[in-house]
Amino acid sequence: MNTSTDSKKPILVLDNINLSFKGVKAITDISFNVYEGEICAVIGPNGAGKSSMLNVINGVYIPQEGSITFEGRQFSKMKPGTAASMGIGRTFQNIALFAGMSTLDNIMTGRNSFHKATFWETALNMGRARREELASREEVEKIIEFLGLQSIRKTPVSSLPYGLQKRVELGRALAAQPKMLLLDEPMAGMTMEEKLDMSCYIQEVNANLGTTVVLIEHDMGVVMDVSDHVVVMDYGKKIGDGTPEEVMNNQDVIDAYLGVSH
Amino acid sequence: MYYREAGRLVKSFADDRRMLPLKEDRLLSTLFVVGVMYILVTAFASDYLLSAIFIPMMVLGVATLGLNIATGYTGQLSLGTAGFMSFGAFAAFNLVLRVDWMYIPLAFFLAGVIAGLVGIVFGLPALRIKGFYLIVSTLAAQFFSEWIFNAYPWFLNYTTSGVVNLPPFHYRVFPFQELTPLNDAFWHSSRGRYLITLTITIALIVACKNMVRSSTGRNWMAVRDMDIAANVIGISVAKTKLMAFFVSTFYCGVAGAMYSYCYIGNLDFMIFNLRRSFLVMFMVIVGGLGSILGSFLGAIFVYGWPILITRLGDWIFGGGTLDTAFVENNSKIVVGTIIIVLLIREPGGFAALWNTTKQKLRVWPFSK
Repeated sequence: MNTSTDSKKPILVLDNINLSFKGVKAITDISFNVYEGEICAVIGPNGAGKSSMLNVINGVYIPQEGSITFEGRQFSKMKPGTAASMGIGRTFQNIALFAGMSTLDNIMTGRNSFHKATFWETALNMGRARREELASREEVEKIIEFLGLQSIRKTPVSSLPYGLQKRVELGRALAAQPKMLLLDEPMAGMTMEEKLDMSCYIQEVNANLGTTVVLIEHDMGVVMDVSDHVVVMDYGKKIGDGTPEEVMNNQDVIDAYLGVSH
Repeated sequence: MYYREAGRLVKSFADDRRMLPLKEDRLLSTLFVVGVMYILVTAFASDYLLSAIFIPMMVLGVATLGLNIATGYTGQLSLGTAGFMSFGAFAAFNLVLRVDWMYIPLAFFLAGVIAGLVGIVFGLPALRIKGFYLIVSTLAAQFFSEWIFNAYPWFLNYTTSGVVNLPPFHYRVFPFQELTPLNDAFWHSSRGRYLITLTITIALIVACKNMVRSSTGRNWMAVRDMDIAANVIGISVAKTKLMAFFVSTFYCGVAGAMYSYCYIGNLDFMIFNLRRSFLVMFMVIVGGLGSILGSFLGAIFVYGWPILITRLGDWIFGGGTLDTAFVENNSKIVVGTIIIVLLIREPGGFAALWNTTKQKLRVWPFSK
């Protein structure tokens, strides 16, 4: 069906996912692949089940049916911890930063899987704890520089404007050095300029680090510009899957977005 | 070189991570701890000042810090503080009593570990419940401790009165005393007890500061601020909560052991009652959630206020004018009012007030 991505290796395979909440079907029979190194956009009207889809991928929701295969390992139940340790990073639609901590600490927290020191080692500031802290700090500074967050390094994130908070959240996800990033509306509520910045960051991460990106976005201009692959959802079902051009010309998609006369 | 923060460029990440980034701060705090706390106070403070002011303030400060680790840093409310303190106190007593070669510092440490393990058990409900409901389950720790030490006289070494005196000289403080000029008689005096309390308190403050400036503390705070996000970025929420409960009750347990051995000199489970749990909680609220400095400011204020007004009353109206009932009620009213005012105006407590003041002074006089 999708000629442009057939040659690539799928990093994530979703097979027949069904998710319902007490009788309300959120996702019905959804299967699609995300290919290594691509930017995949999941689009659809509000309430289509896009965020639920991301939550299924990284184990926040457990689907009643279906399986998730990430890098060849198949799961019927993904757990958030497993997803994180396998290299799935995530940002949220409503910012989920740690409000009481500084920008630096938030991003440092993203590197928690690299910290092996036990609590007594940190309490006594022993060699391994100290080394890990400094190594993480060095990596985190690269991200701070990349995202231009130097001036707000020590600022509590709760006092930052919305656009910057979104950026810090991306930084926290990047700090884990993920293989795949799930971005839930990374540009929602941003000004044009901030959207451009964010698109650049996403594309740069994708191009330079080879990180696969799955993002949910409502701004069609952005979606068509940045993504290699688009999946369209409506009422919990998949109604389109392909390159941006293919999707744009798909009658079901046009109907879902523009409405059809009955 | 001026003593100010502006214009100090940090040249390495190790420097930026220091506990006290300013050279002057390091110098002043070393001078304060060594010069004032260790030398001047030990040399000149009266017995009353040492055993009724400094020792209890530090002991309660450590207990407050313990509660702050669970509540302020990890967001797990707890009303079992005094119960956890009593586990520490009883563990230390039984270790000293039943193990021949036991010495006080080791007994305190092991008492903390035992209290910490108890804390893990009572922290287990935190894996499923949050907020106010957790208060109920930690309250169980409080009542459990009062019940078990009453029901099983073994813990009190079958003392009929329910109170064990810890008279000087029935326990050893340090090994190798023959080799040092300071013998048990010194360590049992108020000066000796003050030095033990001070050293343990400083060690626990440094350890806590080390934890909160590293991955351990970040994980605690991540769980406090948003546990779902913490889980998604790979932090094990269950492990983090239990670890916080362990460390928190370790601190409370050591505080309990110090309370018995260094402060009141007896072991009585009635002292570690719910009232004391509430008192420590007030100290956390007044001092500041999630602040080491605040823990001690809160302890100093809540413990010190009744003493202060008694002294003031004696000084103004003549000795003994203010009766204890008045002082007690007055301090309840004042602490209560301050809690209400702080909750409305500055939920961060004294520690936040201190930081705001520092921030204002930093830019003074160029900005209000």
